[in-house]
Amino acid sequence: MSVGVRRGLLLTGVLAVVAIVAALLTSGLRHDPSATASPLVGRAAPDFTLPELDGPPVHLAALRGQVVVVNFWASWCTECHTEQPALNATWARFRDSGVVVLGVDFEDNDADARDYIASEGSDYPVVVDANSNTALAFGVRGVPETYVLDRSGRIVDRIIGAVDAPTLEHTLDLLVGGGAQ
Amino acid sequence: MSTGRRPLPARLTGWAGAVGLAALAVLVAGLIALIVVAVRGEPPPATIAQEAHQIAATLRCPICEDLSVADSPAPLAGQMRQQITQQLKAGRTADQIRANFVASYGDTVLLSPPHQGIGQIAYVLPFVVLGAGVLAAVLLLRGNKRRQRVARGKPGARQADPSVADRDRLADALARLREEEP
Repeated sequence: MSVGVRRGLLLTGVLAVVAIVAALLTSGLRHDPSATASPLVGRAAPDFTLPELDGPPVHLAALRGQVVVVNFWASWCTECHTEQPALNATWARFRDSGVVVLGVDFEDNDADARDYIASEGSDYPVVVDANSNTALAFGVRGVPETYVLDRSGRIVDRIIGAVDAPTLEHTLDLLVGGGAQ
Repeated sequence: MSTGRRPLPARLTGWAGAVGLAALAVLVAGLIALIVVAVRGEPPPATIAQEAHQIAATLRCPICEDLSVADSPAPLAGQMRQQITQQLKAGRTADQIRANFVASYGDTVLLSPPHQGIGQIAYVLPFVVLGAGVLAAVLLLRGNKRRQRVARGKPGARQADPSVADRDRLADALARLREEEP
């Protein structure tokens, strides 16, 4: 093999390695960690007992047998205002079909949370995660973030950002057996 | 105009060899340093607070842009630091605490890739590249030395075989000599 051919092969090899490394780095930079699939989907939801904003404590395990929509939100969160009508509509449609919508107030203060609920006209239960331990257990990366649990308490869906009413209602239709109107 | 390459002066080729040897020495020293750091790791923490800080420094703040849990001012990162301290006091190891966060957030919560699965590539690749570099440097130096020996005509140097044309010319010259002999 001549020196020229050998040098050409060497140069091609070096360029190929550089291209592969550059491609890996580029894909890493473009990857948004918050968009990563939650390792909890398909597993039992972390259990919690949290005080309701204006009511008795709520124990998640006690809701076993019902489909639960756990929605992490905060009064300071703009996107939470955007999704609120969808959550209110979902609650109104499914509350008599074995579905519980449960708001989890995240990094907020109670007075602001009460004002928010009053202004948005929502009447599903809201609990307060004062030390964010429940948010950490669910792997929350920001609000709003919503988890849909089936009747056995297993997480079947995780929605990052504002919920979309048709998509959420389609998921709930499947879980409750299409009985809700 | 001469088209032949002029051989490098002996002093210059000597310098090139010395620079090559120095580069090789630096590469070998780097390799040894990497191995020592990889094997020894960080010094053991003296207090729970130090250990909690070391663990927090290996975790990515989930709601920040590329900040560790140790460096992030976000309340959620503060709560993670508090959880780390509580779990250390409860007797859990650093690996168990990290595994707890990975169970909720996945591997992306780790600032360094995991020491298993595809993550191992990140730890093995630098050594492979360094080894390839050392090998390339050794081969380059050996090639340089061989060329120097050939240029100086030293004994033991591998000479290139004469070409067919050279052989023919040599045979012609010998034949002419024999004809001229009385």
